Amino acid sequence: MSEFQWILKGRCYKLGHDVWHAGGVVPNWVITGRHFDPKDIIPHLFEETDPGFHTRCKPGDIIVTGKNFGMGPKMNGYIAMQALGLGLVCESMPFLAYRAAIGCGVRVMTDCVNVLDLCETGDELEVNFRDGFFINHTKDFRREYPPVPDALMEIVELGGNAGWLKDWQEKRRAGAV
Amino acid sequence: MGMTAVEKVLAAKSGRTSVKPGDVVSPDPDFIMIHDGVVMGAKRELDGLGITTLAAPDKVLMVTDHDVIYGSARAAERGAFNRKAAAAWGVKNFFDVGRGGHGHIFPMESGILLPGMFYFDNDRHATNAGAIGAFGFRIGSEISRVLATGTNWVMVPKTVRLTLRGQLKPGVHARDIGFRFAALLKQGGLAADLDYRVLEYAGDLEQFDLASRAALCSTPTEIRAYGVFVPPSEAILEHARSKAQRPFAPVYSDPDAQYDADLKMDISALEPQVSLPGSVENAVDVSEIEGLPVDHAFIGSCGSGMWEDLVAAANILKGRRLAPNVRLFVAPGSEETNRRLAAEGLLGIFIEAGVVMLPPGCGPCNDAVVGPVHSGEVSISTATNNNAGRFGAKDAKLYLGSPATVAASAVTGKITDARTLA
Repeated sequence: MSEFQWILKGRCYKLGHDVWHAGGVVPNWVITGRHFDPKDIIPHLFEETDPGFHTRCKPGDIIVTGKNFGMGPKMNGYIAMQALGLGLVCESMPFLAYRAAIGCGVRVMTDCVNVLDLCETGDELEVNFRDGFFINHTKDFRREYPPVPDALMEIVELGGNAGWLKDWQEKRRAGAV
Repeated sequence: MGMTAVEKVLAAKSGRTSVKPGDVVSPDPDFIMIHDGVVMGAKRELDGLGITTLAAPDKVLMVTDHDVIYGSARAAERGAFNRKAAAAWGVKNFFDVGRGGHGHIFPMESGILLPGMFYFDNDRHATNAGAIGAFGFRIGSEISRVLATGTNWVMVPKTVRLTLRGQLKPGVHARDIGFRFAALLKQGGLAADLDYRVLEYAGDLEQFDLASRAALCSTPTEIRAYGVFVPPSEAILEHARSKAQRPFAPVYSDPDAQYDADLKMDISALEPQVSLPGSVENAVDVSEIEGLPVDHAFIGSCGSGMWEDLVAAANILKGRRLAPNVRLFVAPGSEETNRRLAAEGLLGIFIEAGVVMLPPGCGPCNDAVVGPVHSGEVSISTATNNNAGRFGAKDAKLYLGSPATVAASAVTGKITDARTLA
């Protein structure tokens, strides 16, 4: 687990405030159709607001959002973000949206006050989700924000709840828990 | 620094002397509740990982309340699956069809859920635990991890305090407080963010019995409160002592506990409320909407299915018949209440009035698996919320009121202030 990348370096994709999961993150039919396989979801991530997003983003890129990201808490979009290796930095999220993101293994920081004012789409960012650093290399400054809590790091490192539970079972079989 | 009651519960169950909002803990629950609709998903998930035994099967309460009478072949299949799952997991506390009732009501009535307790529940209306001074934590589909390991992570929530001042007027119900509170928050009369907060009541609470306290827990849940806490009165403690199946220790907030917001509400002049379609927040005085014809009515749900709620309805329905164009469904909260309705004559009142009695459980409040509405119909009910589509057709008009308001409206065929029939 020591090789897990808590520091992401990549391009900024900036969104606004009040982005609903349905429509804003993935089309509603992805949610109602209960699509949970990343390969089914990835082509539709941010499809309604940024068509072709999945073809342009690269592992390590950072989605930066305003307040209330992911309203109508659902997990489908986070499955795609995790699979694509994207990070997520928000001014605020409903708690259940945050819990869903952690549960899907997304590197996420929330309560990042005024972070929208600190970057533009295309900026080169470096975000340390373990220690809570947000660095904008394009604009040459650094901020500190609340990192992923220690108690939740293992869930993210193991790819989310499913990975955590699988690991727990393997440890139990081996007599480690 | 002092702690709130819920902080004390989480600290005690996590083996810590104190906690503060934002701390992440893994509490050892007093029990684990899983409802009928999610057993299949959890069982298949755990089976897929080779996890066939539960951490604490004796702590698990499996409850059939969301789809009790199997209105579909799919529901019957799920019921059969759940019975096999209970046997395979060794769950002895399996409250199947006709055995317990509504999982957010009968444990409080019967002494399973007691003051100071903590439990995990897949369902968000675990907030009802606050009625007896306990904390139920909604964990959603992550209930599978709780079943496997015995716990899950909980971030200690902030607490908002709401102090109620004054006595409710006769004919005004605790549900009316929640409707009004939600409207005040929406309109800016009160200011607080309830997302992932515990709403703790304070003030003139002696007037509220257990049923009224359950009603107080209902509406805040719909506006994102993650927990509700009503400090138990001596009457509540006496009820708990009389029913307790094990020792318990009530908790109360410290005088110097920290609150995220401190709200006050005078309830002495409150009128019966009706929430207009679309949201619990759309509450108005009943006088503003009186006379609107209704087709469909329902009394029950987490917030209004206890004995006292049904007595309030029966007091209106006694000696009366429903309006010819109205169907009224009543779902008692528990089998015990059902028995009492029969023993004390209230069942006869309902049947004579033309009520359709549903089995204890959620009734139409769960995805309208029973008693749905048709396109364009108007409903008034005590459901937990009136979001579009709650009872089926998305263009139906769903109004909410107290049990008395709903019963009175079903009798006259139009939205009615129950005090005019008293």
